[in-house]
Amino acid sequence: MQKEAAIREPLILGHKTYHDVTEDVCRPIEDKAPKMWYILFGIALIIGLYGVGCIMYLLGTGVGVWGLNKTIGWAWDITNFVWWVGIGHAGTLISAVLLLFRQKWRMAINRSAEAMTIFAVFMAGLFPLIHMGRLWVGYWTLPLPNQFGSLWVNFNSPLLWDVFAISTYLSVSLVFWYIGLIPDFATIRDRAKKPVAKKMYSILSFGWSGRAKNWNRFELVSLVLAGLATPLVFSVHSIVSFDFATSVIPGWHTTIFPPYFVAGAVFSGFAMVQTLLLIMRKAMSLEAYIHTKHVEYMNVVIMVTGSIVGTAYITELFISWYSGVEYEAYAFLNRATGPYWWAYWAMMTCNVISPQLMWFRKLRRSLLFTFFISIVVNIGMWFERYVIIVTSLHRDYLPSAWSMHYPSHIDIGVYIGTIGLFFVFFLLFARYFPVLALNEVKTILKGSGQSYKEAPDYHKHH
Amino acid sequence: MSITKKYWKGIDELKETPAFLKSKDQEFANPNSIEEFLADEKLGESSTERRDFLKFLGFSVAAATLAACEAPVIKAVPYVFKPENVTPGMPTWYASTYYDGISYSSILVKTREGRPIFIKGNKEHGFTKGGVNPQIIASILGLYDSGRLTGPKENGKDSEWGTIDGKIKGSLASAKSITLLTNTVISPSMTRAIEEYKVKFPGKFEHVQYDAISYSAIRKANLQNFGSSFIPSYDFSKAKVIISLDADFLGTWLMSNEYAIQYGQRRNPDGEWMSKHFQFESVMSLTGSNADYRAMTKPSELATVLSYLISKKGVNTGVASNLPAPIKAVADAAAAALASCGNQAVVVCGSNNLGLQLLTNKLNQLIGAYGSTIDKTNTLNLYQGDDEKINQLVSTVIAGKGPDVLIMSGVNPVYSLPNGQEFGAGLKKIKTTVSLSAYMDETASKATYVCPPHHYLEDWADYSAKQSEYAVAQPTIRPLHKTSSALETLLVWIGVTGRGGKDSKAAYDYITETYTGLGLSDFNFTVHNSCVEKPFVVATANEIVFKDAAINGLPKAANLEVILYQKSGIRSGEYANNPWLQELPDPITKVTWDNYITMNPKEMEDAGYATTYDQENGLNLATLTVNGKSVTLPVYPMPGQALKTVGVALGYGRGANGEKIGKSAFQTKEYGGHVTDENGNPKPIGANVFSMTKFENSTYNYTSAGSISAAEGKYIIAATQIHHTVMARHSIVRETTLGIYTHNDKEAYNPAHVLQKLDEHGNHVKVPVSEFDLWEEHPVEVVGHRWAMTIDLSSCIGCGSCLIACQSENNVPVVGKDEVRRGREMHWLRIDRYFSSDEEATIGTRKSEDIDYDNAEHPSLNPKVIHMPMMCHHCNHAPCETVCPVAATTHSNEGLNQMTYNRCIGTRYCANNCPYKVRRFNWFNYPSYKKFTEVNPAQDDLGRMVLNPDVTVRTRGVMEKCTFCVQRIQSVKLAAKVESRKVGDTDFATACSEACPTNAIIVGDWNNEASVVRKSSKDKRAYQALEEVSIKPNMWYKVKVRNEENKELATLQNTKSHH
Repeated sequence: MQKEAAIREPLILGHKTYHDVTEDVCRPIEDKAPKMWYILFGIALIIGLYGVGCIMYLLGTGVGVWGLNKTIGWAWDITNFVWWVGIGHAGTLISAVLLLFRQKWRMAINRSAEAMTIFAVFMAGLFPLIHMGRLWVGYWTLPLPNQFGSLWVNFNSPLLWDVFAISTYLSVSLVFWYIGLIPDFATIRDRAKKPVAKKMYSILSFGWSGRAKNWNRFELVSLVLAGLATPLVFSVHSIVSFDFATSVIPGWHTTIFPPYFVAGAVFSGFAMVQTLLLIMRKAMSLEAYIHTKHVEYMNVVIMVTGSIVGTAYITELFISWYSGVEYEAYAFLNRATGPYWWAYWAMMTCNVISPQLMWFRKLRRSLLFTFFISIVVNIGMWFERYVIIVTSLHRDYLPSAWSMHYPSHIDIGVYIGTIGLFFVFFLLFARYFPVLALNEVKTILKGSGQSYKEAPDYHKHH
Repeated sequence: MSITKKYWKGIDELKETPAFLKSKDQEFANPNSIEEFLADEKLGESSTERRDFLKFLGFSVAAATLAACEAPVIKAVPYVFKPENVTPGMPTWYASTYYDGISYSSILVKTREGRPIFIKGNKEHGFTKGGVNPQIIASILGLYDSGRLTGPKENGKDSEWGTIDGKIKGSLASAKSITLLTNTVISPSMTRAIEEYKVKFPGKFEHVQYDAISYSAIRKANLQNFGSSFIPSYDFSKAKVIISLDADFLGTWLMSNEYAIQYGQRRNPDGEWMSKHFQFESVMSLTGSNADYRAMTKPSELATVLSYLISKKGVNTGVASNLPAPIKAVADAAAAALASCGNQAVVVCGSNNLGLQLLTNKLNQLIGAYGSTIDKTNTLNLYQGDDEKINQLVSTVIAGKGPDVLIMSGVNPVYSLPNGQEFGAGLKKIKTTVSLSAYMDETASKATYVCPPHHYLEDWADYSAKQSEYAVAQPTIRPLHKTSSALETLLVWIGVTGRGGKDSKAAYDYITETYTGLGLSDFNFTVHNSCVEKPFVVATANEIVFKDAAINGLPKAANLEVILYQKSGIRSGEYANNPWLQELPDPITKVTWDNYITMNPKEMEDAGYATTYDQENGLNLATLTVNGKSVTLPVYPMPGQALKTVGVALGYGRGANGEKIGKSAFQTKEYGGHVTDENGNPKPIGANVFSMTKFENSTYNYTSAGSISAAEGKYIIAATQIHHTVMARHSIVRETTLGIYTHNDKEAYNPAHVLQKLDEHGNHVKVPVSEFDLWEEHPVEVVGHRWAMTIDLSSCIGCGSCLIACQSENNVPVVGKDEVRRGREMHWLRIDRYFSSDEEATIGTRKSEDIDYDNAEHPSLNPKVIHMPMMCHHCNHAPCETVCPVAATTHSNEGLNQMTYNRCIGTRYCANNCPYKVRRFNWFNYPSYKKFTEVNPAQDDLGRMVLNPDVTVRTRGVMEKCTFCVQRIQSVKLAAKVESRKVGDTDFATACSEACPTNAIIVGDWNNEASVVRKSSKDKRAYQALEEVSIKPNMWYKVKVRNEENKELATLQNTKSHH
């Protein structure tokens, strides 16, 4: 077991024993769901179903039901896609990168963060599918052998890289998350009394027996997957940024995009984790496991990535002027002062100014303030993608083709719908899955648990 | 020794058992007959086992599912016997003639499998020399219009020709007075038929000709000045100086399709000389947008301008000649130009005011234009309407003293008269009214009998548009409906001929008779060419000396002068139900599907009207009152509009009382269907302002005093362009003046884009961008063909003929107002129109390095204009091609950027990544979605017949764009291959290049070093738009040269050349 300095703030508060941990995590699964859960689930389901209805209408009628036009071929669809992918970034970062860096505090949040990642990537993946004019032939983006002669996909196209990047990311994240869940499922299985639940959890736990051999393999696989997932953290959003960076459109054609997108993604992902966990710790009484220290750590990440993003914004502005390229210069001038100035300044305020407030210890340790900022950041990050996509397209090279974008109610419906669906998934997760990696948390109980830190004698005796 | 191997079916055969021998000769082993088998009682007992049942079930479900997935099959009926002259898949071209009372042209009609599908100008025959306008090309759609009447009607009910003919004959016989009201008759046969009426009904018959747009003043002025009522032939190709006063001679004035060709010949700065064009006008017209000098002139100031120019020739007309400074500057330049061009000048005036036309004649006389640019001998037979005569007839009809029988043909007076409503009421008081109208229009719906004529593509007709020419229109399809030739109808009623039904030869026979009567021979040859030169008696008018006439009744100044003008797409409203023309953006405003009040944006700002508009933000409504009549329309910011004037286009508000004039003539709702008024009638598009015209001083006047007041609310308009300047960007359009062009080298006005690089000595050197290349060259040079295009911005007048030709050739869907408003028009070819701003010396230049972008967004008070046709550039390094994930858009080895619709999954990345924004996405299923039923002709069985079978109709969710008419490229290549020769330089033409009246668009094989396009692309005026993006388009533009003085530009461009 790893030793930890006593002066470090403990990661698990209160006098928790191993059994307490198990109880705390399993209670919500084994108890009846509170009324609030049903209400929230109902609302999320209605919103989600409305979104599904909008999607059905879209698929039945044509992409024209959105507010796109000849100049602006992507707007809310791809904005939402990039936004959700960005949100889906925190999970892997927490579970893979922080694992490699041995950040123990991740253990309290990685399970939910990974779940969030997977659901966010589901939502993200929806948009490239439904934005296609002919979804029913969308499988042509896969390099499958076919009967059309020598027809093959176009490996030059960043959209194709997207297909690979997103699907790889989703599958690795899913496997990683599931592997982590196995010992926890086994715990629940062992405790389950109802036969159906027992059967279900025993299937889910893949016959985990908790033997040393199991643990050994579990650790090994986790490490290998972490190694695999780490480059993905950087590749996915880099590739998403290529969708824009490899084009010729002023405002898109920017080499700074890959690092800037990755930083932005981590930024928005952590904000979303904050939003979810701050509610969850309260609702599920997990205050002992996810507390101010965790929030503070995450706020530091938000502050750092937010600063990177801010630097990127300013670099872009500078380069657009310094390059002397007429179109590039105008594209950025137009962002700041053109018809979509409000979107630009919303983005600047939310993404550049708000994370800087985290320099104040008091603020970054305030849960209420954190919750507020986490929402602000995600609004800002949505606007960032909207600004990049729409304000670049709406006024590009030929002024004759300049246009404006107005979302239709289907645009709004689909977006809101994905938020609904996301929460449907997340609420189901919170109800039936262990929201904390309980077996992992137990590994740090002795190192970072408050009760053990406050009883130094305990260490001496062993 | 030969060994033949013998095989046995079995041991029985080897051993030749008796059983085998018995059955050897039977085909079936079991000799039971089918009857016996079916009669077997045990058959019913044989049951399907459970497993078999499941197998069958599974199979049938799978089979049914698979079958259901199949796209519906639409069966085509093949020819059983090959008709003569029809080879399936090969077009047949017919020479014919177009005349609709407004435009006239010699045309060629393309038919496929017996269906006319495309119209283009006949460049080889006829004085129109291939000149067409959007209406002529779009008229093909009228043939397949489901709104057309399919047979005769009596009191609004279907009837038979026999019945109706009998009744009308009876009415004619008993009538005390008969009036035939037609549009201008230029048909010799029709004229002969009318003469027969005069003989048959002596003293009782009167023929009145009526043009919806009157040019009566020109004839009257000539009558006073020359003693003969004529409209001369103008030749703009002979005019070094053109002075136009409110005459839109390139768009709507007289024979504009003829004039555009003449004009285009002299707009090439590389030619022998270039004409200098002065325009004095109030509403910015297509012609005004092409002028070298344009002065914002109120209608009341036109006489002053003329008087001023006349005074410069040393003659005092007695009319005031004091001009405001801006107009005077232009007038001085015009006077100076006139002084140095001898008699090679022409003055034209678009007003229907007699006094103005007299002044115009006077100036032309002083210049010596008669005999030089104006031909008084070979006069025009069109526009013979005499306003006084019409007004008299209208008054008698309104007073209830009209003729007993009124036959109307080719006219719609209830719609187009200032007092049309009253006239319509008057019609009801006439015993018998007959309308020869193809639609149940405003007038026909009030007539006793409606006798629909053939569409002109179904009919024989003859024309003499000018003294010198006789032309024939021939049918290109058997009549689709139970309509009848107008000529035949008239002849039947006086018993000259009988009804011949669909295969009637009555008109043909009568026309050949006329033809022979004229002393012409070989009718078939004339039909082949569509026209023949006709000897004519040179009128003595030429010798008649010019006689001054008293000038009075000139337009008076008013606080607000209102101009009722024509838009070059809709003109007088005859084609209000043609969706192609409704969706054709106005050449200046780029607005579709509407008319509006045009006002200078400066005045609008002062009055508090909105001057910007887009998808969701409309323009303010205002009520315009003229002569006691009011309309409420949106106010459109029209740069260059003369201050204290407003304009409204005629030709809108058709079918205001729910007349059935075709489904595309009405407003449509967001999810399909017509917008209806409280009576359930569909609402018309725009408002009719013919009621604001006024009969005054012996003519119908299109300008008068009025007043305007703001009305409640805003109105959303649908424009294809909502941004109007080029933002001083220098690599989109390029412009110079003739002076700079002739005295400087290319660097001055057409500098190459350069980038810095290090040479071998480590010095920074500037090299052209073409030397930098990120990609490997496409192997399109030298090898095989490489299709390319050049567009001369100097020649392009922005008329829109190319756009309609492209739409017709390539089955481009119509999307309707709501979709245009959303920026989703499907036109593969658009014409960008840029105004100059105050930040620019001319369009696309910067007065200083630091410009105010806000200011650059606003057009100047009286801006310069450039029209720039824009379509797919077929880039050799196409940004669209690299980004498609499924390789649906690829490069051909002939330099074409190909779009494979079948492969497209519709990600739209290609459209986003196109710097020219020329790709068009199928947002909906245009051929079937309910939203487009009213507007897209491809949605009904009849309308579908206009589709070009060589071009795929695109489905929902795929991208499309200009293909350089690849189907035509294929066909010329095939023709060349069959004939074992190379493709000739003139073999291939795109629909747009063919339609262009000024030859601005040149296409061809760039790899053929002798080709015109190759030479054109190497010209010193040639440049590539957005060259610095390095996408290597196969398309070049040529610098626009204005024949003007521009000191600011001269400073800018001359400094450039010294670098």
